[in-house]
Amino acid sequence: MRSLIEGYLGVTEEGRKSRLPAKLDWWQSATGLFLGLFMWGHMLFVSTILVSKDFMYTVTKMFEGSFIFGDAHSKPILVSITVFIVFVIFIVHAGLALRKFPSNYKQYSIMKTHTAALKHEDTKLWFIQAYTGFAMFFLGSVHLYVIMTSADKIGPYGSADRMVSDWMWPLYILLLLAVELHGSIGLYRLSVKWGWFDGKDAKATRKKLKKAKWAVTVFFLVLGFATLAAYIKIGLEHKANYGERYHPGTSQSLNQTTTYAIQGVLS
Amino acid sequence: MKITYCDALVIGGGLAGLRAAVATQSRGFNTIVLSLVPVKRSHSAAAQGGMQASLGNAKMSQGDNEDVHFMDTVKGSDWGCDQDVARMFVNTAPKAIRELAGWGVPWTRVRKGPHEAVINTELTTIMEDDEAHGLITSRDFGGTKKWRTCYTADATGHTMLFGVANTAMKHEVDIRDRKEVLSLIHENGVCHGAVVRDLITGALEGYVSKGTLIATGGYGRLYQTTTNAVICEGTGQAAALETGVATLGNMEAVQFHPTPIVPSGILLTEGCRGDGGVLRDVDGYRFMPDYEPEKKDLASRDVVSRRMMEHIRNGKGVPSDFGDHLWLDISILGREHIEKNLRDVQEISMQFNGIDPADEGAAGWMPVRPAQHYSMGGIRTKKTGESQTLSGLFSCGEAACWDMHGFNRLGGNSVSETVVAGMIVGNYFADYCDEHELTIDTKAVHDAIQKQADYIDEILARSEGEDIFPIKKRMQKIMDDEVGIFRNGEGLQSAVDELQELLVRSKNAVVKSKTKAGNPELEEAYRVPRMLKLALCVAYGGLLRTESRGAHYREDYLKRDDASWLKRTLTAWPDDNATLPEVSYEELDITKMEIPPAFRGYGAKGMTIEHELSIKRQDEVDAIREKLEAEGKDRYEIQEALMHYELPLNYKEKNERLGVGHE
Amino acid sequence: MSNTIKKGRELTFSILKYNPRDPASKPAFVEYTLTETPGMTLFIALNKIRDTLDADLSFDFVCRAGICGSCGMVINGKPLLACRTLTADYPDGKIQIMPMPAFELIKDLSVNTGKWMEAMSKRVESWIHSNEKHDITALEEKIDPDLADETFELDRCIECGLCITSCGTALMRPNFVGPAGLNRVARFQMDPHDKRTDADFYELIGDDDGIFGCMSLLACEDHCPKHLPLQEKIAYMRRKLVAQR
Ligand SMILES: Cc1cc2nc3c(=O)[nH]c(=O)nc-3n(C[C@H](O)[C@H](O)[C@H](O)COP(=O)(O)OP(=O)(O)OC[C@H]3O[C@@H](n4cnc5c(N)ncnc54)[C@H](O)[C@@H]3O)c2cc1C
Ligand code: HEM
Ligand code: HEM
Ligand code: SF4
Ligand code: F3S
Ligand code: FES
Repeated sequence: MRSLIEGYLGVTEEGRKSRLPAKLDWWQSATGLFLGLFMWGHMLFVSTILVSKDFMYTVTKMFEGSFIFGDAHSKPILVSITVFIVFVIFIVHAGLALRKFPSNYKQYSIMKTHTAALKHEDTKLWFIQAYTGFAMFFLGSVHLYVIMTSADKIGPYGSADRMVSDWMWPLYILLLLAVELHGSIGLYRLSVKWGWFDGKDAKATRKKLKKAKWAVTVFFLVLGFATLAAYIKIGLEHKANYGERYHPGTSQSLNQTTTYAIQGVLS
Repeated sequence: MKITYCDALVIGGGLAGLRAAVATQSRGFNTIVLSLVPVKRSHSAAAQGGMQASLGNAKMSQGDNEDVHFMDTVKGSDWGCDQDVARMFVNTAPKAIRELAGWGVPWTRVRKGPHEAVINTELTTIMEDDEAHGLITSRDFGGTKKWRTCYTADATGHTMLFGVANTAMKHEVDIRDRKEVLSLIHENGVCHGAVVRDLITGALEGYVSKGTLIATGGYGRLYQTTTNAVICEGTGQAAALETGVATLGNMEAVQFHPTPIVPSGILLTEGCRGDGGVLRDVDGYRFMPDYEPEKKDLASRDVVSRRMMEHIRNGKGVPSDFGDHLWLDISILGREHIEKNLRDVQEISMQFNGIDPADEGAAGWMPVRPAQHYSMGGIRTKKTGESQTLSGLFSCGEAACWDMHGFNRLGGNSVSETVVAGMIVGNYFADYCDEHELTIDTKAVHDAIQKQADYIDEILARSEGEDIFPIKKRMQKIMDDEVGIFRNGEGLQSAVDELQELLVRSKNAVVKSKTKAGNPELEEAYRVPRMLKLALCVAYGGLLRTESRGAHYREDYLKRDDASWLKRTLTAWPDDNATLPEVSYEELDITKMEIPPAFRGYGAKGMTIEHELSIKRQDEVDAIREKLEAEGKDRYEIQEALMHYELPLNYKEKNERLGVGHE
Repeated sequence: MSNTIKKGRELTFSILKYNPRDPASKPAFVEYTLTETPGMTLFIALNKIRDTLDADLSFDFVCRAGICGSCGMVINGKPLLACRTLTADYPDGKIQIMPMPAFELIKDLSVNTGKWMEAMSKRVESWIHSNEKHDITALEEKIDPDLADETFELDRCIECGLCITSCGTALMRPNFVGPAGLNRVARFQMDPHDKRTDADFYELIGDDDGIFGCMSLLACEDHCPKHLPLQEKIAYMRRKLVAQR
């Protein structure tokens, strides 16, 4: 009975206003915060390729539980499970955030006109957030689905192949832009929304947060594109050997492959 | 024709009107409030400085009580006030402020321990008592013996108005804005409501009620330079005047404030000087002590304004594009004080003049020159707030001449009056609604509405004639030039002559747009003739009053003439086609005064033509006081013996004070 | 006077004129040119236009001193109090003025903020709730001076509606209680005279039309002419109300 009453009237059986809107707001922020911070970790993880293939390999294996099962018997299913969990959080977050989208064309048109006329930074940022969020419905879902179903392919070669030979790079470019803008704006918004760092002078704090927000955006975009470039480079080099798995300490073979590939192209 | 019925009709949603509406509504009378603008935008919101109430909580206000407040008020009025009313007022003011505190007005509170204040340009340390911590504090204002002006930083009127408006909403008073009262509905000397124009649709409606109360504020916009809001055009008083039955009192009593900023005329609160700011001249010299050695920059408003103009006339003004002005210096109070307690002042000065008054030295001085500020005159009422001549019509606040201000009102006494009168008059008004049933011929209502409808149609039908805006401008210029701070017979006569001419011309104004909804020119066209009638009451009353009293200052009659002018001017306008009001006078009875006329304590001495009864009454008062004191009577008993007065509800009860209880 | 304006500059005003009550009226920008005078505010300019160029132009001013909140308008895209806006702030001399969206249009630049604010005030029950009857002949209740000051800070809202007009959420969702409404709740939450609990406030604004509808756009904070701490107080109320069980 409870849900029937609350569902229709928006009032609990005690006659109080439903606490659900509060919970939804809380969960939206909680999922956003999780995703935002998760992405920091995520970006650092994929960027390990910039250090070396071996390092990236080791870290990948670590996520597959190498520290328990050993390198040879690591379990990619662990990653699939993790991705599944993240996917769920991602969907929950998107679902909650849907409440904030313009719900018809009139609302959209008002918001768009307003954003253009007002020239107010935080309002523009929200618009970017809504756009990028919308894009991630698709981009993020594809990525997560792919990673979830073929977690075993993650690795210096597997990932690179996916990017180049499986034609994921255009999606990644868009996703990268979307998620970095969305995430850093989101974290900034979270701080002001809940007044976490307000301190004595909230206005001054906000200025600092805004600076930090831009710094984070730029940092992760640069890092992300460098990473992307590294994978693309490897992917191109490894095109001929598509599907081959990386074995640590075998960069020799890569060099050879590279030579062959280049020769192939030239001849 | 749309007609709305109610028990109590309140015209004007400023502090006075809203407080009165709470009084009637909470006694169960269906009350409607009408206002030109959303009520929270009423001009009461502009009061910055504060509200006088003799609480005596802060160190510098200890020892204050009703008697001291009464004395200040009577002297301030230059003995023009009704002393009964002043007594009613001072006894209710502490109750009013305490009631407002309960309604959520966030009065600034006493903070125990030392704090610094600038007194007489000297930085002084004041120690506040522990027991007073958290009680309502007060600041210094012109013309008062004690620090009696309670405040909320410098947005006192705003917070009071929101407090009262919110409370009116709580009581479910029916508040309707963008409604303009054009005229009153009356029959056989009884008022039954008003004809109202909806300012959005332009439609005319009738409001019929048992009792009607006008609280439409002042008429400052008769003048060109004024601190008043653009809606302070006196149309409420004009509606009363145009009944031909109700009278207006002391319309010539118009106050000029010393420190509006130049050129916009926006007020810089008296709190600037109250807190220790000073006036300076072209040489940066502080001149007020030379003129007023005792109260200096804080003498009463009329005195300071005149001294400033005098100083400018002596060649000490600062020349500018907008005429000569003087400087107001608050930089000596320090940035911290200004940014906390005089923030609005700082904002106004920075916004409109680009001057930060907290900047040290001359860079922070603000250009000021006196301008019209307050209307002591208004709808003449009895002590109950009811018109003396039109029954069922009540009035309170700045719109009324209840007469507690006489010829000069003290700073902080006005917002205080609005709520106090709202309480007292509101209650008598409720009594009236209780005792009277509504009996009116619907034809009278119909006729009253039709008359206004015809009038508007007639204006719209005119195709040839004059532009109304220049007529209004000319009126305002005349009032500034000839009916201002300094007046003389010749100037006043020429003002009266020309205003009459303008009145005739204004009745021939042409309106370009012919729509009835939202037509600002049409509004001017029907308002200006009404404003001109009021202007004539002011100018003509001033011309006839051949003396100087309070703010009314005649250069050709420099003395206060108690012998022949201890009386109130009453104006009426029985003949619609006349170009001058009918003037009569109401004597003030010295033999009943608690404080007979004497020297005010500031301004020049020996400038009074005494009334023979003054000394006689003084002796009488002294004798009674001496006798009762010897008998060990307390101050309340002595007061009662000197001048009995009445108050409704529990308003006459004694007020408790810190340390002295109900003493 | 430190107004540094060249005398006699020509200003071009482009003003939206529209009378929704007149079937013949169509919304259009009308241009007026005016010679600038020293220290000219939009209050002066608009009155001059009405007095000399277009007697039919409607707009609202009351205090003309930035105190009463009557004159909110959208000036070159920015919501501002017209009476406090100097023409000197527009170096190219081109000034476009529109009525504030979010409010019912009365005519031209005149909008019905009063109606909106009244509805908001009633919705959040913007008055002291208390069953205690205080004797007005006795000493007033003691209030901590800092608390009184803080309450005052939030009581300074002049209901001008600039925050509402700046807030995308309020524009998009007309039922949103708006920053001014949220501030009002915070004001009474702060006031020791008001005996309402957080649970009571939850009843008023605990939904997506209330506190949980705010998307933290902060345009309210950035456009409030009274510099009210809206960001801080909305966050504060959000924390309070989300904690309600
Ligand atoms: C700048 C300034 C500062 C001041 N500072 C102080 C101060 O510090 N201390 C102090 O004590 N006093 C001060 N005063 C004076 C004080 O503010 C006013 O005297 C007082 O607020 C008047 O209140 P009221 O309720 O009588 O009228 P108002 O507040 O003026 O209200 C008038 C109401 O009547 C309505 N109205 C008018 N005409 C009509 C009509 N024809 N039909 C329908 N409705 C109508 C208006 O819409 C409005 O709601 C100051 C005044 C000014 C100008
Ligand atoms: C389908 C994908 C997504 C959509 C549709 C989406 C949408 C949104 C929207 C519209 C908001 C604004 C909410 C508001 O205004 O209150 C938001 C907030 C946020 N998003 Fe997303 N988002 C998505 C994915 C992500 C991802 C991947 C991250 C991690 C980087 C993220 C992090 C955040 C954060 C931190 C916030 C702030 C939370 C808050 O304001 O409570 N979002 N999201
Ligand atoms: C547990 C969940 C996730 C895992 C395990 C994961 C894993 C990976 C891996 C291995 C790559 C390298 C490329 C590849 O192999 O295809 C990658 C890249 C990327 N991922 Fe994820 N991902 C996860 C979640 C997400 C989410 C939620 C987002 C954002 C919505 C995201 C955005 C990206 C982007 C933008 C790239 C490209 C990185 C770059 O260019 O630097 N990922 N991810
Ligand atoms: S919060 Fe600020 S912007 Fe909003 S109505 Fe109040 S004063 Fe105006
Ligand atoms: S602009 Fe609007 S969305 Fe929230 S922070 Fe202010 S109320
Ligand atoms: S007219 Fe009062 S704020 Fe502009």
